[in-house]
Amino acid sequence: MPIDKVISEKRKLQCAKLVDLSKKVVREAFEKFKHEELAIAWTGGKDSTLTLWIIKQVCDEKGLKLPKTMLIGEGDEFEEIHEFVERIRKEWEVPLEICRNEDVLKAANYQLGAIVRVKDLNERNREELKRIGFEGEEFSFEPESFVGNHLMKTVVFNEFIERNNIKGVFQGLRWDEHPARYNDEYFEHRPGEYLVPEHTRIRPILHFTEKDLWDTYAAFGIPYCVLYERGYRSLGAKSTTRKTSDIPAWKQDLENTWERVGRFQDKEKAMERLRKLGYM
Amino acid sequence: MAEIVSKGCERGIPGNIEMPLSVERLPNGNTLIADGGDEAGYGSEVVEVDRIGNIVWHYNEGLRFAHSARRLKNGNTLITDTTNNRLLEVTPEKKIVMNSDDWGGGTGKLSDGSHLHYPNDAYELEDGTFLVTDRNNDRCIRVDRKGKVLWSFEGLHHPHNASPLPNGNILICDSDANRVLEIDPKTKKVVWSYGDGSTETLWWPRGVLRLANGNTLITDSKNHRILEVSPEGEVVWQFQTEHVDKFYIAYATSEDTFLISCTDGHHQVIEVDRTGNIVWLFRNYRRPFPIYRRLTNGFFTEVDPSGVPKHWVLATRLSEGGGKVIWDTNNRPRPCPGLEYDRPGALFLQQSIAVTPGATYRIGYEIKTVDVKGVACMLMDFFDALGGSLFHVITEMPSGQYLSGTNDWVSDIFEVRVPPRATYAELRLFINDKGKVFVRNVMMQRI
Repeated sequence: MPIDKVISEKRKLQCAKLVDLSKKVVREAFEKFKHEELAIAWTGGKDSTLTLWIIKQVCDEKGLKLPKTMLIGEGDEFEEIHEFVERIRKEWEVPLEICRNEDVLKAANYQLGAIVRVKDLNERNREELKRIGFEGEEFSFEPESFVGNHLMKTVVFNEFIERNNIKGVFQGLRWDEHPARYNDEYFEHRPGEYLVPEHTRIRPILHFTEKDLWDTYAAFGIPYCVLYERGYRSLGAKSTTRKTSDIPAWKQDLENTWERVGRFQDKEKAMERLRKLGYM
Repeated sequence: MAEIVSKGCERGIPGNIEMPLSVERLPNGNTLIADGGDEAGYGSEVVEVDRIGNIVWHYNEGLRFAHSARRLKNGNTLITDTTNNRLLEVTPEKKIVMNSDDWGGGTGKLSDGSHLHYPNDAYELEDGTFLVTDRNNDRCIRVDRKGKVLWSFEGLHHPHNASPLPNGNILICDSDANRVLEIDPKTKKVVWSYGDGSTETLWWPRGVLRLANGNTLITDSKNHRILEVSPEGEVVWQFQTEHVDKFYIAYATSEDTFLISCTDGHHQVIEVDRTGNIVWLFRNYRRPFPIYRRLTNGFFTEVDPSGVPKHWVLATRLSEGGGKVIWDTNNRPRPCPGLEYDRPGALFLQQSIAVTPGATYRIGYEIKTVDVKGVACMLMDFFDALGGSLFHVITEMPSGQYLSGTNDWVSDIFEVRVPPRATYAELRLFINDKGKVFVRNVMMQRI
């Protein structure tokens, strides 16, 4: 169902301009890299789906197929996202590969919160734990924890690009989603290091604010996962993602609150106490 | 295995100026500097430097975060030994001829029964008595060499500096109130002031003095600028640098230049003229702590004999004399460290780590707090090539959750993008005010 939001002609033009800027980044990526060297990181969430949609526009123009697309299954996923992904995969002919760290999932017996013993993991995963400074003998399987995030997402991401000899990966990051993203670049070269293949991260929709994004969905009738309609604003792991409201994401107060609600609001309150410190 | 990229020098080497605080030009052309010392509490000293940078005199015995040094008429040096809560008068031969610890029959008490509390500055007045800014007692006092309180102005908000005027009035930096005041000592009335309380006008003014032209020179410390304000309250001149320069106090020389102490901004003293040209500079700083290739001992498996986790530094410079590392021995599989603190300053457990500008890192850890009155958190600061922080205020620093009160173990993650001019990062466990904070399983990874 298209988004129930009226978009003026003027706003539609503004959104089209934002999409054009993104297309320029995508075209530049197609010039820099061979088609088979490119990949798309898709989660089924609003950011990467917009990215995928924009790449598809450029591919349609050029008569190309979509580049290889990876979807990382972290082991704690919403069924609604899977349904949405399956629908879009068929409609847009997405060459999709669902990637998971099976070794860790097996060691956790596919149970959230299960204790994973490091010695039960394969050599690669053990090396990866060493690389991030993990010195314990076991950990609890939580995909959103530091260790879980690394093993279930970063490692899977690196393995995918290594396996497919990928040189450039499209990501759906935006400047306004997180303070740590403010200075991200459209093209970021990541030099290779132990267990990390050299590659370039390509971020075509960096300049979209959250409001821009939803207006663009509305203006162009882009499909989205039904969870956003039910009040989810940002989708992560199923057990740790909360609704921020009962109204659709695009009707929430996007400009005065953070999309990853919770920590930043507490932070504001504590700011004053911190400012009262002496010379710092 | 610990891999060190850049070794630090020995701590507390005399003449290594880690944090220049007060500064004044002496009649012989030399410059007297009070150095607060390094972040771990070592190296506080007073040095006299000649025009070409030779250290011609220094005093460092027992000082902790000394904030000011003033040359007296008799040739001795008056020092506020801030964290030790005392005032010292030292001869050129380094003999102590007055120690406020001796007042009150050896109790250190003043005639009014109080004790100096974090004194920040002291000037000698014409009659040989001292004007002392008694910061944590929120007052400015005049005392004689025996500790008799001759005058007191109370109700201030962490004042840091006060100076006498030729007309007998007193200029005071009422720092936490973001204003400077001119007081008539007889009536105790405010006869002039600058600062409306907003941080835009003045943010934590740290030093104030009246210039010969009648204007007032203010070190607007947290705005990282020096202001010259006319009697009508108009800013007629200001000085700022492009980097974050943590100016602490400015001194007007007889040559119409200004000596400015830059604390741990760039660890230097500069002399600047009215065009903003730096005409003299003294910097003699070597970093005392090592920089590690990557986060090291984040699981706290190794402990120093001192009880501090190996490769981590307990930073006590701002802790006002309190705070220590504690261990949660019930933690499994091994004890984890924490900080216990009991006063309004700040305490850190930190490590310096080499980083790549432009890269993004993710930091993950578990944190727990017990009765934290202020705030506890993990945060990251970045430093430029001269060892200056790239952030104007602590609240700009990337951090994990700010925790207050009591919280059981929380898993927390935050991401940082390294600013272009950064050479290394400092990852810190932080606490201010009362309470305990524990941390375990600290990891850091480039993403």
